[in-house]
Amino acid sequence: MTSPVLEVSHVCIDSPTGLILDDINLTVEAGHFMGIIGPNGAGKSTLLSVIAGMTSADRGTVSMSGEVLQRGNRQRLLKNINLLSQMHDDGPRLPLTVRQIVGMGLADYVSPLWRRPAKGGEIMKALELLDMTDIADRDFRLLSGGQKQRVRIARALVSSPRLLLLDEPSAALDTQAQDRLYHLLRRLCDENGVAIIMVEHDIAAITSYVDSVACLNKRIHHHAIRGERIPEHIWQAMYGSHTHIVAHDANCIGCIQGKAP
Amino acid sequence: MSGFFASEVMRSALLPAILIAVTASSISVMVLAHRLSFLTVGVSHATLAGLGLAVTFSLPLLPTASATAVAVALLLAPMLWKRGLNEDAATGVLFAGAMALGIVLISRANRYEVDLFGLLFGNILIVSDADRHWLILAAGIIMLCFLWGARGWWSIAFDAPAAAASGLPVTFYRMLLYAVTGLTVVMCVKLAGIVLTTGLLVLPAACAWFWGKGLGWLWLLSLLFSVTGTLIGLMISYAEDWPSGATVVLTLCMMFLISWGGAQLVQNRTSRNHST
Repeated sequence: MTSPVLEVSHVCIDSPTGLILDDINLTVEAGHFMGIIGPNGAGKSTLLSVIAGMTSADRGTVSMSGEVLQRGNRQRLLKNINLLSQMHDDGPRLPLTVRQIVGMGLADYVSPLWRRPAKGGEIMKALELLDMTDIADRDFRLLSGGQKQRVRIARALVSSPRLLLLDEPSAALDTQAQDRLYHLLRRLCDENGVAIIMVEHDIAAITSYVDSVACLNKRIHHHAIRGERIPEHIWQAMYGSHTHIVAHDANCIGCIQGKAP
Repeated sequence: MSGFFASEVMRSALLPAILIAVTASSISVMVLAHRLSFLTVGVSHATLAGLGLAVTFSLPLLPTASATAVAVALLLAPMLWKRGLNEDAATGVLFAGAMALGIVLISRANRYEVDLFGLLFGNILIVSDADRHWLILAAGIIMLCFLWGARGWWSIAFDAPAAAASGLPVTFYRMLLYAVTGLTVVMCVKLAGIVLTTGLLVLPAACAWFWGKGLGWLWLLSLLFSVTGTLIGLMISYAEDWPSGATVVLTLCMMFLISWGGAQLVQNRTSRNHST
């Protein structure tokens, strides 16, 4: 039996004001698409940061393909994952073309300047996936917010990672582009066996695409698989007593069936 | 022009000036990409404290100043990026504190030991053999680090979380960049002095920023602007008998204005062509 791509075991993160993450346990197999939802400050981005090896857990372990992530193997194991962090517009406006940015996602990009840059085949393939080959040579600074986000997604995909961590990837995308993105991510899971963990606010938007949804508010209140209903008290524990969830399709994960207006 | 090359003083200043132009322009790309101009201001002022220490304890001037600059850069930068201390506050503390320490230490030394005017405003025309050897060694170290780490630094400047998540040792790369920037600052102090050093570490890449697409082009253009500006500046300084460091910085400022104006013209023409 092969080991899961990711195993998070009893992970806790402390802070002076209390626990940020409390006894988190998750297992993600190859090809599994997991959505993580939760209110602001629930620890969603922190959890991705722990999985990506950027924040050390105070207790518990993160394992990748059966190996516990630690200082000695960190660099090697992390080559198999890619992270798309939340988009901020306050970074330095570097003069780069779309092609160059996508190339930055390749594993061998960070080689000394005296080595030749990577070949462009993988870069164009990643751009094709996002329908962006026509703007490969455009200046990244001149693109719209949505286009920039798609370039960042192409950068995350270019190295064909085994595990993809996405923090609100649909921010700045219009509804059509969101649907296309989720469809593409679903295809990557099904056809390439990529495991995906995606943090999103809007459960209704992702529910037709993901295999499971983890409800996080410092701890995982519920982990719903496709077709399973999330009990109302879980929603209330996460978002407060006035929350009302409605179904929008038959495959909705966590929705209360038959209560649509 | 022929007088410039016939002058032994200018001929001996050429190699150190070009070395400084090459290293400063290379690092200036990262100074802009990582927004480190505040660091160069703070560290250049800390150089005075290093020189004060060297004079007080009879240590070699430039190596002691370099060690101090690297130490200050390594101490200051993580303080800023980890705890979010206000950049202005931190730079102000260093700026005033290091200058004050340097002035106190140097005031106690024999006044002939330190060329205070040269320190503040630079003096590339007086370079001892020991200084020349130190400049060559420092330039070698800086360029080796740059060639090795440039792509990593560039990747971190674009998206640090993604770089860290793909296994890049971001903290190590950042500390190396701060140390190398500190060392470059001391080299620049020799040419432009404490007051004008930031100009050498910002202007070359700022000139190139309008034209370069990608790290490679940006670096080459930055080199071109820096070496050209330094040569023209030294020639003007020789012809008009102006201070060399200030003339080089002024020349680079002029080049920046020309580069910015040219970029605006090209942009206007392009948008006019698109609209017709």
